[in-house]
Amino acid sequence: MAGSQSSLREANRAKIVEAVKQYGGLTQVELTGATGLSPATVSTIVKELVAAGLVEVRGTVRSGRRAQLVTIAHRLGLVAGVVVGQRHLRVAIADASHEVVAEQALPLPAEHKVDTSLDRVALLVVDLLERIGANLDELLGIGLGLPAPVDVDTGLISVRGIMRGWDDVHVAQVLEKRLSRPVFVDNDANLGAMAESALGASRHVQDSVFVGVSHGTGAGVVIGGRVHRGFAGLAGEIGHVQVDPAGRVCVCGNRGCLDTVVGGSAFLAPLRDSHGNLTLRDVVQYANEGDLGCRQVVADAGRVVGQVVAGLTTVLNPQCIVVGGELAQTGDVLLEPLREAVLRRTLVNRVAPVEVVPAELGTRAELTGALLLALQSTDVFDRVDEAGAGIVEEIG
Amino acid sequence: MTNVVRTPLLSVRQVSKHFGAVEALVGVDLDVHAHEVVALVGDNGAGKSTLAKVIAGVLQPDAGIIERDGVPVTFSSPSAASASGIATVFQDLALCENLDVTANVFLGHELRTSGGLLADGEMERVTRRILQNLTVRIPSVRTPLHHLSGGQRQAVAIARTLIGEPRVVVLDEPTAALSVAQSAEVLTHIQRLRDMGLGVVLISHNMNDVRAVADRVEVLRHGRNNGSFPADVSHESLLAAITGAA
Repeated sequence: MAGSQSSLREANRAKIVEAVKQYGGLTQVELTGATGLSPATVSTIVKELVAAGLVEVRGTVRSGRRAQLVTIAHRLGLVAGVVVGQRHLRVAIADASHEVVAEQALPLPAEHKVDTSLDRVALLVVDLLERIGANLDELLGIGLGLPAPVDVDTGLISVRGIMRGWDDVHVAQVLEKRLSRPVFVDNDANLGAMAESALGASRHVQDSVFVGVSHGTGAGVVIGGRVHRGFAGLAGEIGHVQVDPAGRVCVCGNRGCLDTVVGGSAFLAPLRDSHGNLTLRDVVQYANEGDLGCRQVVADAGRVVGQVVAGLTTVLNPQCIVVGGELAQTGDVLLEPLREAVLRRTLVNRVAPVEVVPAELGTRAELTGALLLALQSTDVFDRVDEAGAGIVEEIG
Repeated sequence: MTNVVRTPLLSVRQVSKHFGAVEALVGVDLDVHAHEVVALVGDNGAGKSTLAKVIAGVLQPDAGIIERDGVPVTFSSPSAASASGIATVFQDLALCENLDVTANVFLGHELRTSGGLLADGEMERVTRRILQNLTVRIPSVRTPLHHLSGGQRQAVAIARTLIGEPRVVVLDEPTAALSVAQSAEVLTHIQRLRDMGLGVVLISHNMNDVRAVADRVEVLRHGRNNGSFPADVSHESLLAAITGAA
């Protein structure tokens, strides 16, 4: 029957595109293994997909043999997004249509050193490009997120002491020198806000706040659809709002900041006697499995963060508060007390009550934001002017 | 679920091993709990690999005891150790280049149908499931090993240890000679093993990798315990313990 024949081919095409997307780049031989289709079918379909402009084929070498590497078409160029957290870094490569073609996370030690980590960022970007068979000049730019306030113009961290050892390093310059591609640095919560307001939960509203609750807490403010960073990137640094006047002294020098209560080791301390040494990942996992102690700690964190976010809400009157970060993976365990604290401490808006919702992009909000930052900062068509007619032809 | 007073999955007590005049291990202690990554670090010749071999049953200690779940055991051979739930991946991985991923995972433990034939379908299914649990990126379980990268090979070697449903996995230098992206993959596999509730012994020279994934760092120096540190130990104090500067 003709109908089933063509739908079969359609399904096989989808299978191949899916496999190429999942692995970034596969040789035709690997594609037969990954999809279970015959080599002849793979070869025919790849030819069709190349003609349709969906995938690209380039020569490569696998175990000393020449092979045809099939990748998703990225003729308009690629961007890299990097998010450096306190205990891990993530790198993603995406094409101009925000499609992530390669991604890798790397766990980091506590208080990781700036030189080692930036070196690994550079190597990871190159490694991932290699995985998809691209080279460095196809990269339009790199967006980098840091868990500290960043002065976007200089790329320097604008408050001393928050990331030990990173204070005087021109992060963008170091990476630009290594990779000779433009690098744009921003605060991670700002990137989360940018991503959620462009593609995620707050895309339908003009004014929103993104709150990332992880090893530290930060907020990104979106006003009129644009990220508001403040004069040197300090807007939304709610991790350093005082919540306990008699609390511990924070790395910033003040006492009882939100980060000294919800961040890092202070957050895990109440669990030490009952649960032993846990990591943030463990707490999320156990809370989701129903462990009462872990749920309690997460709920308490939600309440405290909610108090601070309530202040932000009163000042900005956002339509929507998007909650992301690792702790948000516990869902309503964090969100419900946070929502309650915000609503209890703000005026009831009769026209449009503020909504408190989970990040639609989940823990990838910041990474997606880093990709967006790189895409927005480097205009795809600027490059056409620079490079001359060669690329114009390719795009046309 | 964790509890403060708990029996270690594996407990090494006062183990010593001599090779002629060489004191490889002298009265070494090591505890490994469930859901824990214990890193074993030390200079060359500090006894890390010897200890791994003792745990794996390759070497028999001259003195000292090994306890599994609080019960004293003696491992007369590697198969005795693996029967007791201890799986080890050595530095050379011991994989077969010419066989595919499934065959390597089941090497020596092939599943058979009731008729005595190889149960290929079942073995592929199990392999696929294990690789998925570890979040390994290998396109096909039918790929011959010589097509895989170093990181993927390490993943296959780790997957192979999971066939016997072990409680403790010992990894000897799993990130040596790997690129950053491949090390990153292996480190995420180690985190997965921990999330699955296994005890992991990680032997490594790379202080960054160790401090990134370990819950506890045990330092060996000249075959003796030279300090036990929490995961957030500073690079400097760790190096001091390794070199004996402290």
